[in-house]
Amino acid sequence: MCGIVGCVGHGVDVQETLLDGLASLEYRGYDSAGIATAGETLSVVKRAGELDALVAALEDRDAPLDGPAGVGHTRWSTHGPPSDANAHPHTDEAGRVAVVHNGIIENYQSLRDELEAAGVTFASDTDTEVVSHLLGRHLDEGTTLEAAFRETVARLEGSYALAAVARGADTVVATRSDSPLVLGVGEDATFFASDVPAFLEHTREVVYLEDGQFATLQPAGWTVTDADGSPVDAEVTTVAWDPEQTGKSGYDHFMLKEIHEQPTALRQCLSGRVDELAGEITVAELDALDSFGSVQLVACGTSYHAALYGATLLQQQGIPAQAALANEYATAPAPRRADTLVVGVTQSGETADTLRALREARGRGATTLAVTNVVDSTAARECDHALYIRAGPEIGVAATKTFSSQLIALNLLADRMATSAYRTPRDLVAALRDLPGQVQTVLDDSRAASVVDEYLDRTAYFFVGRTYHHPVALEGALKFKEITYEHAEGFAAGELKHGPLALVTADTPVFAVVTGTDEAAQKTIGNVKEVEARDAPVVAVTDGQSDVARYADHVLTIPESHPRTAPVLANVQLQLVAYHVADRMGRSIDKPRNLAKSVTVE
Amino acid sequence: MDAAVVLAAGEGTRLRPLTRNRPKPMLPAADRPILACVLDALVDAGFDDLHLVVGYERDRVQNHFGPTFRDRPLAYHAQEKQLGSGHALLQARDALDGDFLVINGDQITAESTITAVADAHARSDRVTVAVRESDDAPAYGAVRTDDGRVVDLVERPETGTFRLMNAGVYAFGPSVFADIEAADRERGELALTDVIARHIDDRGAVQGVRTEGLWVDATYPWDLPVVARELLARGRVEPPERAAGQYVSPDSTVADSAVLQPPVVVAADAVVGPNAVVGPNAAVGQNATVGAGAAVRRSVVDTDARVGATATVADSVLGQRARLGDGAVLPGDTTDVRVGTTVHPEVRLGAVVADDARLGGGVTVAPGALVGPDARVAPGAHVDGTVGEGVEVRR
Repeated sequence: MCGIVGCVGHGVDVQETLLDGLASLEYRGYDSAGIATAGETLSVVKRAGELDALVAALEDRDAPLDGPAGVGHTRWSTHGPPSDANAHPHTDEAGRVAVVHNGIIENYQSLRDELEAAGVTFASDTDTEVVSHLLGRHLDEGTTLEAAFRETVARLEGSYALAAVARGADTVVATRSDSPLVLGVGEDATFFASDVPAFLEHTREVVYLEDGQFATLQPAGWTVTDADGSPVDAEVTTVAWDPEQTGKSGYDHFMLKEIHEQPTALRQCLSGRVDELAGEITVAELDALDSFGSVQLVACGTSYHAALYGATLLQQQGIPAQAALANEYATAPAPRRADTLVVGVTQSGETADTLRALREARGRGATTLAVTNVVDSTAARECDHALYIRAGPEIGVAATKTFSSQLIALNLLADRMATSAYRTPRDLVAALRDLPGQVQTVLDDSRAASVVDEYLDRTAYFFVGRTYHHPVALEGALKFKEITYEHAEGFAAGELKHGPLALVTADTPVFAVVTGTDEAAQKTIGNVKEVEARDAPVVAVTDGQSDVARYADHVLTIPESHPRTAPVLANVQLQLVAYHVADRMGRSIDKPRNLAKSVTVE
Repeated sequence: MDAAVVLAAGEGTRLRPLTRNRPKPMLPAADRPILACVLDALVDAGFDDLHLVVGYERDRVQNHFGPTFRDRPLAYHAQEKQLGSGHALLQARDALDGDFLVINGDQITAESTITAVADAHARSDRVTVAVRESDDAPAYGAVRTDDGRVVDLVERPETGTFRLMNAGVYAFGPSVFADIEAADRERGELALTDVIARHIDDRGAVQGVRTEGLWVDATYPWDLPVVARELLARGRVEPPERAAGQYVSPDSTVADSAVLQPPVVVAADAVVGPNAVVGPNAAVGQNATVGAGAAVRRSVVDTDARVGATATVADSVLGQRARLGDGAVLPGDTTDVRVGTTVHPEVRLGAVVADDARLGGGVTVAPGALVGPDARVAPGAHVDGTVGEGVEVRR
């Protein structure tokens, strides 16, 4: 898990371009960072810590790093602790080459043993360093940087986006396998990065590199070749994202900005897809989707909670469906029938665990569908079908608006998957159209900021809900632990008495999601009474239909809505709870410790 | 000059109850916020460096516009306490170097007015104020000029005859910030006009630019249909013109049997049901719904609002998410409107229904009613006068 950037050209300030690029990739990791530039000489500067430490180190120098070719890296540790030595770029012993890498070299230990046996001394604990030494040795054989890089990569197993520069060459070479890498084609410079925003201020013309392809970037231009070295006619596409969309637009944190963007994100998700006059839901990109007898949803983290919700939706419509953690599914997939659709839910479309599970399913002949936010992401390109959630870029590491949009996109999918006997309920169509405005009401009126003041510094925080609100409880707890670093757990409300109730005390606030007055609501109220009897403070998230408020110490109100849309509204309250607790505690909300936005390693 | 500061921090208390959740610049000018019209005019006039001073319910401004407007970056400057327009401008100080334009974010001004102020300031870098002829001058800050020099600027004059008003568009150099800081605050507040008034001298330190063209302001809630009418008359709405005077978003759904009487605007994601009659001078906002057979004229139906089947809405404003049940009747008329202890005589108004208020099926409303946010009126009930926030009206 890391982010890499690079640029080649005489028309740009290479050092500044690399630093700007790294700043926009910090969401991918931020425990160390470094850059290298090459031309006649090779210079490398790298530091443990956030990007500021690298910037300070560069400012201490007399002059910026020079050379027309540069690479940069922001790191999230997988091999070895964050330190200056373990920071990228990594060099060979002679200091001739510098390599940046995102991913994992799975056979690094055997390569390292081999190199050490040959007398090479390693400077770091990383898997990446073997690449530097191999590259250096191939260069010693007198080949070009391009040829040496190709020979080096042929020896690697695992997932990687790799880029290298070498002394004496105004060239960057790069390749990918199972990790994202995008080229940016500017007028007087060429760029690459793990993700498009890193170079959006320079160009919107991009080339998505395929697995196994190599890119060579020089001041005169760029070429893409396949593994054998034959030129590939790579397609240049124009991305629509606006660079300024990465600004905070007046908010203190991206997370709060993104929470407040939810009405807009949901409008985008629904636009043109729901027709209240005809009482229909239509999703153009799913026109070619066949009918399937059952559905398996695979996902990780927040997306997994959306997948759980999606599975419940499908089951309620009579379609056998199950949600699986992608990292478990990849090694122990549930049995599939010929008519099973496998759906990967991934915000970035680059989540390595989810990609791996989808590949496993596809490799065995299953039809796959990606539910993702990023057009042309790896998941979108590799799956047979893609459903876009249209939430817009999300920068905060803690997913917020994309979860809401995933829930709604899954409603659209469930409707599309329905059996022939099914008719889209008119009240659902109306409820979907009303949802963006209702989210706005929650944002306008939420008392979360004042309620949390009562509950700072407690032993633990529990979240409970039933049916559609079970995933909301899990997500509420995940959001809370991610950004507050406090202990938080979510449970199916009915599970409390089967164990977790032993943890409940007067010092463990319980957030209970209860909407409507149906059986699920009544039973959850029963569970609320159970925790109340153990003196736990109760915060009810409710639409006021039931009498749960009688048993709660505080109430966070949401508008009355449809059972399928209420989870989105309840979740917004819990997002605000997590945000305001973390804010009171002074946490690093947009970049929580040890976490990164899209986890591109397994 | 390519920097402009838009003052959008004030609530606009005279527009209550519509400002319960948002500041006046976010109230609907036909199909979009007033502030969107202001920003449009600035961009059309060539301003690329846009600054918004936000305060009251600023989330609503920030999350509506986000980081850019028509590809120009938007910088937000928070005024935590609303201590007047002079204090508001100070919040943008650190982001500005060089001369800049200042404009009110809650009044709609023609691009030509903005250009005229910028041009005048470019010719002579004195403090520049847009003025226009108006019978309403005393209500807006009255101005007296002499050969292009502003010789008098009075907020709400009690005596004297004025025929020029301050149009709320100014150009300044950076020295204005020192002037603002040096000025005395009256009851803690500081208006920009006070700072300008102090500058006025015989040598013409303040120049006035006479402007014409579109200028509309909503002082009271019932002015919003008038604002919509003015904008519709000039086609200043977001959707393209589908047929003469019919501005219909391609992302809306209008039943074939519905009748759109020009001028009319239907925004994105909005729905107009079968046999509904919408217009003339009606604005149906984003994702709003007009039910089958309903009639809506001379009215503004804001984002996400719903008008039930066969309901009648005339000379009215429906706030966001407001709901009218089937067959509800809001007939327009000219009437006296009482707000608190003040009576506004001869106002043309059906009803103002604030955000989230719900009128049940068959509700009838006497002209001139104000229904507060989140109020609930039971089916079949009759409303006359004012219904407070969250109040339930039973039959």
